[in-house]
Amino acid sequence: MSELSAALRKEALLQWRTRAQLAAVFVFGASALLLFSFAIGPDSAALRRHSAGFLWLGLLLASTLTLAESFQSEMEQRALEAQLLMPVRPAALFYGKAISNWAQLSLLGFALVPVMVVLYDAGTDRLGALLGVILLGTAGLSAPGTLYAAMTSQARARQTLLPLLLFPLVVPVLLAATRASSLLITGDPMGQVRSWALLLACFDAIYWSLCGLLFGRVVED
Amino acid sequence: MDLDDGRPAAAFFFAGLGVLLLLAGSYWGLFVAPAETYMGDVQRIMYVHVPTAWNTMLAFTFAFGCALAFLFLGGWKWDSRMEAAMEVGVVLAVLVCMQGAIWAKPTWGVWWDWDPRLTTTAVLVFAFAGILALRHFVDDPVRRATWSAVATIVAFVDVPIVYYSVRWWNSLHQMQSTPETVSSAFHWPLRINAFAILFLMIAAISLRSRIAALRLRTELAPPPPAPAPQTGTAAAEATR
Amino acid sequence: MSPTGVIEGGWEFVRAAYGVSAAVLLGYGVTLVLRFRSARARAERARKESS
Repeated sequence: MSELSAALRKEALLQWRTRAQLAAVFVFGASALLLFSFAIGPDSAALRRHSAGFLWLGLLLASTLTLAESFQSEMEQRALEAQLLMPVRPAALFYGKAISNWAQLSLLGFALVPVMVVLYDAGTDRLGALLGVILLGTAGLSAPGTLYAAMTSQARARQTLLPLLLFPLVVPVLLAATRASSLLITGDPMGQVRSWALLLACFDAIYWSLCGLLFGRVVED
Repeated sequence: MDLDDGRPAAAFFFAGLGVLLLLAGSYWGLFVAPAETYMGDVQRIMYVHVPTAWNTMLAFTFAFGCALAFLFLGGWKWDSRMEAAMEVGVVLAVLVCMQGAIWAKPTWGVWWDWDPRLTTTAVLVFAFAGILALRHFVDDPVRRATWSAVATIVAFVDVPIVYYSVRWWNSLHQMQSTPETVSSAFHWPLRINAFAILFLMIAAISLRSRIAALRLRTELAPPPPAPAPQTGTAAAEATR
Repeated sequence: MSPTGVIEGGWEFVRAAYGVSAAVLLGYGVTLVLRFRSARARAERARKESS
């Protein structure tokens, strides 16, 4: 447990030092949302109907940037090998990194909600539930994303490999998060949001445990 | 490495057997079996589509098994077999999607109707093609094997999740139920073709894993010894 | 589709499906054999060079 808190403190410090990057990624995400509306056209009804989809696509695209960056500092000066030489379980390193990525993506998601509300007229009275769905969905992106980022940061063609590996895997996250968010925005007469949230929670539980177990094999020498 | 240098006779035997069975089963399904009540002759596509789909899942399941074997038992043969099973699986999965689209057009009027099984197969094409790409961009054999084994496990665990989420996602839009694939009268051509494609798949995986093993052997081999120093006039000139 | 709901004809789709299947299986098989031969030749050459 102390290993995890040490890893988290390191991550928090790293995040604080590179906070300008987070702002840049937010601008990227917001401009993606803008481009989506140009692709659809000035049809307010259509934009509102698909707003959840745009939000999650924007988050997914932005995640490739933040996830790839997350191992950048470990690659410099062989910091990853140094960390592994310490008596720390690799799983602690993984969870520290994954939680940090999760926090970053969630903040990004929260920040994009007002952009979505303005561009697509996609407000909701169940804001708390929407933020909860964002938390569940970004958790689903960050666990496998952190695992793959650890691999691809040490491979060639890393910019292409990470989304190539991640996107097919997180199809259930995209489906469930988009459906749940869409229902929260356009109305949920049959009360399905809870079931989609449950699907997200199951995906998160499975992948947060599986990726933590496998991380050791990925970074071992 | 336990790869013998002999000709891959077993692979060619299975391939030959598979081709014969495929011809027999297809002939039966195309010309002997009666047309189905509602779908008419288009139903005959099922005699090649369903066996391909079965074997695709078999290939990916075998790849998953090889990944576990490599990580927990060790041994390069598991890495070669995993790479082979993945590639064969991707080829078969692409074929399944093409067959499914050709079947869907006359049946539903569209090339793609988001059928959960077909959509899951499409996701699998991308997932495993991505892992094959990962293998291509990692030069160190140990890392390549370990990482792709990890990625295979992660991807395979996702298969039921993808299937159920797509099924649920689709059920809210489409009221049409997936038709019964085949009624009991038409079992034989289906079974024959299933074994046919199974044998073809075994042949392909066997041959492909030999290719992978041969490449590995070259990669893992010790470097060639340095050439003996020259005693000719050039060296004599240099030392004068 | 006819008024009774039965799909009529459609043989061109059946032919397309079987044709595509044969083409993919045969084509992939041929590439496998060719790749196997070149891999074996390369391994032979490498073995001769290092011996």
